Amino acid sequence: MSVSGTSAVIQIDQLTKQYGEFTALDSLSMQVEQGQIMGFIGPNGAGKTTTIKILVGLLKPTSGGARIAGADCLTESRRIKKLVGYMPDDFGKYNNMRVSEYLDFFGAVYGLSRKPRLKRIDEVLEIAGASYMKDLFVDALSRGMQQRVALARTMMHDPEVLILDEPANGLDPQARIDMRTLLLKLSDMGKTLIVTSHILPELARVCDVVAMITKGKLRAFGTVDSIMKDIQQRRTFEIQLLQRESVAGATKNVQVWLDQQAEHEKGGPGKATGAEAEQMVRFNTSLGDDAIAPLLAQLVQQGQPVSQFREVATDLEDAFLHVANEEQASLDSADSTEVAAS
Amino acid sequence: MNPVIRREFVGILRSPRAFGMLACLTLVFSIAVLTRWPSDASVDLSGLQSLQVFRVFGYGLMTGVVFLVPAFPATSLVNEKNSGTLALLLNSPMNGGAIYLGKISGVLLFSLLVLLCSLPASAACFAMGGIGGDKFFFLYLVLGLLALQYTTLGMLISSYVQTSDSAVRLTYAAVFALLFLSLLPDAFFRGTGVGGEFAAAIGDWTRNLSPLPAIMEIMGQGGMGSLGLKTLPGFTRFIALAVVSSAGLAFWTIARLNHRIFDQSRSKGVITDDRGTKSRVVRRLLYIVDPQRRKGGIPWYLNPVMVKEYRCRRFGRAQWLLRLVSICAVSSMVLTYMAATGVTSWGVETIGALLVLLQVLLVIVLAPSLGSGLISGERDSGGWELLRMTPISSFRLVFGKLMSVVWTLLLVLMATLPGYVMMVLIAPELSLQVQQVLVCLLWTSIYALAISAAVGSLFRSTAVSTSITYVVVISIFLLPLLVWLGRDAPFGFESVQTALLTTPVGAALSVIEAPGFESYDLLPASWWIAGVLSSLMFLVLGVQVWRLSRAV
Repeated sequence: MSVSGTSAVIQIDQLTKQYGEFTALDSLSMQVEQGQIMGFIGPNGAGKTTTIKILVGLLKPTSGGARIAGADCLTESRRIKKLVGYMPDDFGKYNNMRVSEYLDFFGAVYGLSRKPRLKRIDEVLEIAGASYMKDLFVDALSRGMQQRVALARTMMHDPEVLILDEPANGLDPQARIDMRTLLLKLSDMGKTLIVTSHILPELARVCDVVAMITKGKLRAFGTVDSIMKDIQQRRTFEIQLLQRESVAGATKNVQVWLDQQAEHEKGGPGKATGAEAEQMVRFNTSLGDDAIAPLLAQLVQQGQPVSQFREVATDLEDAFLHVANEEQASLDSADSTEVAAS
Repeated sequence: MNPVIRREFVGILRSPRAFGMLACLTLVFSIAVLTRWPSDASVDLSGLQSLQVFRVFGYGLMTGVVFLVPAFPATSLVNEKNSGTLALLLNSPMNGGAIYLGKISGVLLFSLLVLLCSLPASAACFAMGGIGGDKFFFLYLVLGLLALQYTTLGMLISSYVQTSDSAVRLTYAAVFALLFLSLLPDAFFRGTGVGGEFAAAIGDWTRNLSPLPAIMEIMGQGGMGSLGLKTLPGFTRFIALAVVSSAGLAFWTIARLNHRIFDQSRSKGVITDDRGTKSRVVRRLLYIVDPQRRKGGIPWYLNPVMVKEYRCRRFGRAQWLLRLVSICAVSSMVLTYMAATGVTSWGVETIGALLVLLQVLLVIVLAPSLGSGLISGERDSGGWELLRMTPISSFRLVFGKLMSVVWTLLLVLMATLPGYVMMVLIAPELSLQVQQVLVCLLWTSIYALAISAAVGSLFRSTAVSTSITYVVVISIFLLPLLVWLGRDAPFGFESVQTALLTTPVGAALSVIEAPGFESYDLLPASWWIAGVLSSLMFLVLGVQVWRLSRAV
């Protein structure tokens, strides 16, 4: 699955990983092109880290394969290690070492010779905005500082592909903005990035493509816009009321109206829910603007004290929740079918 | 019931290592008694047979307390501090005293279990007749207080350090110092007139900081280092010192159990090169190899993993090693000089034995501390995954790590060379023996390193690997000496010789003709055994590293 169809730097083909009976990854396929930033999202235990570990050669797949810049992740692990920079969620600190010594060590184990290595330390610290940390002790760094140093470490051997596991984890708002800028800078440098994060709005702002994964299966893949379009087939509206007492009546009226629309086959079934504390009614529907406009008029006619009538903008978080809920609903229905059959 | 007591005690009891230790102890005590249980119907009216069993049993029990008990308190506070649960406890209505009481009670209840494990064996020993109940009472009293003293000491150290492995290392170093080094002042200055009566009294009291004189007295062997002179009963002084020191250590630790324990600002990391001229000169003189100077990058001819290991140790860095080596070199020369000039009545053999023992102790303290965390430390800190991502081969990685310990141990071994050289100058006929001793010590270091690295690699957490490695290394090196203590009875010549063959320490003592070791012929068999066992251990390490490195 590729987005633009040009040459892919990362190719994942039918990747499956099983631990005994448990399937951690189920026929995962996707492609990422050079210079792209791919956001890899999914709930905890979805299979993101398993995918990443297979890509960097730390795990073997049960079946399927993956290639990075033409190198097979399964058989060419040495080449992969030079091509990929992996920044795990865990910083991997060494006590009593200064940042420069820390980077010097990783540069040395990647085989960089001494002079270029010392030059590279300054370069990567500059890119990561961490030059002032050069003489600090690694174990005395704050979480945000550690993330920057970890990124510098990942770039030490100038890899083509950077895989960053939760780079924004534990960062304050300013540090998150800095991290976002940094990721875009790396993309401009021609690096291909895979970034996992639970902070989805962050990803939406920087990613060219997004892959959503739940229970080891790829649920959605594409640009943020294309995924939104898929999700936005059902729209969510909010009706703000002036009085709390009106919420129950307004909810009933909206639900009746939605059911009538469904009967006349003007739109699919919709559901209205009331929130008394917020003095609000929410509903979702696949109807267009023209079809929805009479609802507002009807509510006003019925004497409902409507103060606002608005559509809720869908973001990546909603898209993710939609995908995750769909997955849960399909599982629940499968369970109930099994129970009924038995 | 104090909730901390319940959690600590149950926590220790649930740990497999505690269960393993208790099971092993029960087995060892039972075997010790069974070996000397009378096989005929005759009665030994002199009580000699039961006394022999009692001695092995008593020293064994003391060894158990000395080597098993400190591992638990040493990690108790530092682990709580690092996991953040100490902050939660301090935020609860419990005060520092209640937290301390809870934690210390857990460890002491475990120590009590260790002692209880020996009760069936002591009952059997008592049933053999000839030993009064008071001896058992005093033995258990001394051992109970010893457990209390080491527990309070371990917890104090635990409240100061930042990592669990340094807590274990420092606690064992302090325990060894209390056990052996406290004997030295009295041994040197008694009867010499140096320092007058006051120095002699200080030496006498210092000697009783160690449980050895008290236990030896209970065993009817006279106090260690008493040289036949009449002194106050050793165990009375030991009891007084143990009670006072335990109380002092406990109050000191309780005073630290408040929110100030977390007051530690992050180091600014000021580099010596950026300081003023005066400061730079002072540091150069003080450190010789200043750890805070700006480094110039790892050169191509050095294994980067080895350099990393040196750099991220607090203790293993060059300035510490130089200090250690200097102290060793000076002490070994002083010891030999004293033997040569007749300051002490000890012969060259005794001085040689002392040098060997001190060096072995240093190796036993250093090797597990440096070797046990080679792999587990990386796994614990998350560094292992990063290293797996680099192109460095597993062989180069392990080789670098092992070499970082080998160089340290070699420096320690070479530190006593001046003492041996002086010994050869005094008695040239000892030249061959000294060479053989040095080979034995080299094997001791390699063997200790191999065991530490292999055993340590089997565990994920540094604290667990360090504690277990200490117990294993100490058991392997000191159990044969315990068997030697029971030479002639209950163990025969063959049994002692076989036990001594298992480590090169026995061979070193035998070669230098240390008192009591002259009759054993242990070379070259001891070298072969150490070689084969070390190879096996390195094989275990290799397999474990391969297992952890491969993609599965």
